[in-house]
Amino acid sequence: MKRRTWRRTLYHIVLWLVALVFFLPVIWIVLGAFKTKDQLLSTPPTWIFVPTLANFVDLFTRPNVTTYLITSVIISVSAVAIAIVVSFLAAYCFSRYQPRGTNFLMFLLLSMRMVPAAAVVVPVYMMYVAFGWKDTWLGMILFYAMFSIPFSVWILKGFVDGVSPRFDETGLVNGGSRLHVLFKVVLPQVRPGLVAAFIFNLVFVWNEFLFNYLIGGRRTTMVPVALSTWMYAQAGVDWTFVAALTTVYMLPPILIVLFFQKYLLTGMTFGTVRGEV
Amino acid sequence: MSTTSVRVQEYIVRRPAWHTRILRSIEESRLFSTSLLTPVLLFFLIWNVIPLLWMVGLSFYNYSLITGNPEKYVGFGNFVDIWSNINMWANFGRTFQWVFITVLVETVLGVLLGLLFWGSTDLPGRRIALTMIFTPMILAPASTGTFFRLIYEPTFGVINYFISTLFGTKIDFLGDRAWAFGAVVLVDVWMWTPFMILITLAALGAVPKAELEAAEVDRMPWYKRFWYVILPHGKFILMLGILLRTIDSFKVMDLIYLMTKGGPGNTTETIAITLWRKAFEGFTMGWSSALAVILLLTAIAFTSVYLYILNLTKRGAA
Repeated sequence: MKRRTWRRTLYHIVLWLVALVFFLPVIWIVLGAFKTKDQLLSTPPTWIFVPTLANFVDLFTRPNVTTYLITSVIISVSAVAIAIVVSFLAAYCFSRYQPRGTNFLMFLLLSMRMVPAAAVVVPVYMMYVAFGWKDTWLGMILFYAMFSIPFSVWILKGFVDGVSPRFDETGLVNGGSRLHVLFKVVLPQVRPGLVAAFIFNLVFVWNEFLFNYLIGGRRTTMVPVALSTWMYAQAGVDWTFVAALTTVYMLPPILIVLFFQKYLLTGMTFGTVRGEV
Repeated sequence: MSTTSVRVQEYIVRRPAWHTRILRSIEESRLFSTSLLTPVLLFFLIWNVIPLLWMVGLSFYNYSLITGNPEKYVGFGNFVDIWSNINMWANFGRTFQWVFITVLVETVLGVLLGLLFWGSTDLPGRRIALTMIFTPMILAPASTGTFFRLIYEPTFGVINYFISTLFGTKIDFLGDRAWAFGAVVLVDVWMWTPFMILITLAALGAVPKAELEAAEVDRMPWYKRFWYVILPHGKFILMLGILLRTIDSFKVMDLIYLMTKGGPGNTTETIAITLWRKAFEGFTMGWSSALAVILLLTAIAFTSVYLYILNLTKRGAA
């Protein structure tokens, strides 16, 4: 018995070591954010130091940083919110009415998501320039909504399929309208799907770089693009600044994984695999 | 005789108000189901169909944004050009090499670590440990790429500090032709092995407990247990995971671009990077569109395979 608990402890230590190995680069970034410039770039690397908050003070006193952070929040939240509403309606339609071409449309939606972004970026860029949508808030938000729709429709259709049509019938017989059924009967039952779709698209849009770089501009720059342009703009990279900004920016996704861990699997597999880990 | 008086409950059926009646008739007509779908169709039309047609159209033209010449119809000229270009073949080869290596390493590592984490339900702080493992895949590739440049940096990077104390030399990982590809692969492996761990844990969750206990009682050796008990139940989820990873690995662009820009030389240039450079550094829009059409067809092929396997899964589960 004694031996068994000893082995169990060893097993747990090994698991924690694996977790640490994966987290090590992240720790390095976060540590870097609390170091001074000399400490960050010193050889041998500094492990023990007095943490400084100067980088964060510097971060939030730079004029543009807060603007970019706010832009990131506004664009990603509103784009995903639009996408979820639109996709829920479509998912209900696909699931209950099954209009002709449902399977084909679902296929098209999915293949849009699987196309390399680099392939779509050329025509989208041309279109945005031609229509004058480049660097507009609406253009950016609606594009990201489109970016999030295929994924959300796939997740939500799976969940709406899981709600028996009996619920709809009961609602209708008892005098509810279709809209009532839609929002008061079906919606509460697919809440896990909504959450999964919401947080995953949020993370995708939050991290997106390519399209924001191309069809965004001065007014609609989000943090990843700002980060990379700062990188290349200056001769010497301001590493402590990059570290501090990265640390702040990765906080929301990490918190999402921590608190919504049970949705992770559903989210990462387009809703095709359910369950928890 | 006494008469029993029966109280009849009267149900009063009221005629619904006029606006309710109109609403109902709309809801029961086809208009309603169509209108539910309209927003998605609109999005689809504006952001997919129009650019797509535009792209297919452009791919038949010789059109450059910088020369200012009017576009010239060249038929399949661009496609022929891509087909006969040696560099393009090399880039396609490199892309498949990239996909193959990353997916293989991530799958093997992910399955092994997933098996290791199986039955770790009593791990203290399991939620935090799993969060730590899953963090790499939800970081912005832009910031990951940026930061790995610092970590790989020859003069003050951490990795080179250890290498120089161990072997006495320094390696410019991202600037050296021999190392760049491997270095970028390593970052991708770091980012996406967690995904395969996640998939493996899901696949293991699909294995019935009873069969495992039976295997335990029979004292089945571990490899037989894996092959005859775990794999038959978990293989579909695993297949889906591998396929999703293949597609994503084929797509990856920002990570590589921010670390090496496809260099040194073109040792890390995958097709997605080529397309980007031709379109937004060379501004040859016609030629890039032709390449994009080819990528699109490849992606549709991937999607078909994905759905085919998905249908098999459903049939397998039923």
